[in-house]
Amino acid sequence: MTADEYGQARAGRRLTPGDVRNVQFARATMLRPGYNDVEVDRFLDRMAEELAQLHAEKAELRDEVHVLRDQVAGAAAVEPPSDQAVRILATAQQTADGYVAEAEDFSRQMTADARAQYEEQLRRAKESAGEIIHAAQEAAARMVGGAPAVPAEGGSGGERTTQELEDQVAYLKAFAQACRVQLRAYLEALLTDVESEWGRADPGSLPQAPIRATSHRPEVSRNVAREVPLDDSTSERPAVAKGEGAEVATRRRGS
Amino acid sequence: MRASFAKAAAAGDEAPLYFYSHLFLSHPEARKLFPVSMAHQRDRLFQALGDVMEYVDDLDRLVPILQELGRDHRKFGTVAAHYPAVGASLIATLRHFDHQWNPALEQSWAEAYGVVAQVMIEAAEAGADQPPWWDADVVTHERRTIDTAVMWLRPRPEFPYRAGQSVSLESDVRPKLWRYYSPANAPRPDGLMEIHVRAYDGGPVSTALVRRVGPGDVLRLGPPMGHIAFDPDSDRDLLLVAGGTGLAPLKAVVDHVARYGPARRVDLYVGSRTEERIYDRVDLERMAGEHPWLTVTFAVSGDDLSPLEQGDVGEVVVRHGPWSSRDVYVAGPAAMVEDTTTRLVKDGVRPERIRSEVFAPSRLGPSLDGEVTE
Repeated sequence: MTADEYGQARAGRRLTPGDVRNVQFARATMLRPGYNDVEVDRFLDRMAEELAQLHAEKAELRDEVHVLRDQVAGAAAVEPPSDQAVRILATAQQTADGYVAEAEDFSRQMTADARAQYEEQLRRAKESAGEIIHAAQEAAARMVGGAPAVPAEGGSGGERTTQELEDQVAYLKAFAQACRVQLRAYLEALLTDVESEWGRADPGSLPQAPIRATSHRPEVSRNVAREVPLDDSTSERPAVAKGEGAEVATRRRGS
Repeated sequence: MRASFAKAAAAGDEAPLYFYSHLFLSHPEARKLFPVSMAHQRDRLFQALGDVMEYVDDLDRLVPILQELGRDHRKFGTVAAHYPAVGASLIATLRHFDHQWNPALEQSWAEAYGVVAQVMIEAAEAGADQPPWWDADVVTHERRTIDTAVMWLRPRPEFPYRAGQSVSLESDVRPKLWRYYSPANAPRPDGLMEIHVRAYDGGPVSTALVRRVGPGDVLRLGPPMGHIAFDPDSDRDLLLVAGGTGLAPLKAVVDHVARYGPARRVDLYVGSRTEERIYDRVDLERMAGEHPWLTVTFAVSGDDLSPLEQGDVGEVVVRHGPWSSRDVYVAGPAAMVEDTTTRLVKDGVRPERIRSEVFAPSRLGPSLDGEVTE
């Protein structure tokens, strides 16, 4: 192909290595030896253009390879799970949720019972403490009331009365001490009782148990138990939950 | 898009169940970011998506919400790479429940999700100068009553917050279950933070925090959230009414006034069922003794033998009124907050002066409205 022919073909066809190797430039005029410099220049321009285009294309292709490569990697990792697999996992999750909810509900009932018992016994203890104090005060009043009668009884006089009063004070002190000891024993027994009730509700939380020992037990999430019907007698929660619902609703309306 | 979302939402629990199962099968590594029981998580997902759908035409509203969500998700260990996985499972779920699914719909969903994810990711990246969460050492832990504990935490690094705000909190004993608590003090120079916890019957996190956590344990804190909207610059006198651990943010308000002023009279009323259940009495009486501008009044509603004020705390407050010149803050159980607010309004307090916060058993976190709710 001559350089001119090449020039005509440039629009339709890519420059090949063969084109370059076989290019023939026309002889110049007699006055100016060598190739026709117009043709040479034109050819060089074309070469430059062609090289630029090749570079651009190469970059484009490189990007495309990257994109495709990423796509291939992504596609391999994320093979959409089958509906069957999704169903199986969903069922397993629901089963787990059910267990957690049940455990939590059990713990709630036990704790509520333990708390009710604790409060009831504390109330009773307070009442009986009140009674004991009342009885002691009455006894003291009786003794003090009885004291004036002593001198009337005989002739031993004031000295004996003082002695008697001191005895009575000592007796009352001992009585108060005994009451205190008894009351303390009673309260401690109550506390042990409550701890064991609580312990049954939440064994992991007992002070004597190693703190982390039970951390493997199923995770419980309180919200879950909402789905489990609550026994009316267990706690005041239903009422609270209702209140919260109303609160949320109000806020949302207000927003 | 709304129609296809409605179809999925109509499937109830089935749709989020499908979504999470699909997500965990495609990306098993994502499972460890969630708690064992997913029941509540499922409710939250569609609640959040529903809110996004509701505000989708109101970008001024939606964008800040998404930014907040994006920032808050950092504490869950969420990274940018998780978002496409969630998007793919979301679209698979919608497709599964929509019999008229078509490529055009899929395209719109993919684009919409792309925008949502981008806003969240950008917000998360913008917040990257803050840690995603803070470790906090339990310095002291004191059980005050059978079900209430007060603990002091030392967050690392410094934890910036304001009096009345809430922080979310997670413990290794109950991984991936975050609950909201309010610090009971204003920020201190030594960075320590006081937290009040009441164990609710059967509550997994609260019982663990009261009975299993102790000094030396490490908790995790999420970024602080706007909450009881305490106005520190108002110089109006204050009326604070607390029930249960609703005391915590109000005690922080008292502490704020004590530390940073401005000087204002503060009357704090603390309601309780019985006298034993008033778990912070000693410290409150100490504060009342130290600060002449502070009075603390305790009220019991179910303890005839107690010498304290008798009656529901709202009733007691109104008995000591009038309070019409005060800024009022009320925090506690829903019934108590409602009762107190109603009584105060009836008594002549302007409703806009009353700010309240409900303390419910599981304070799981803010809804898309930014409110911390059940």
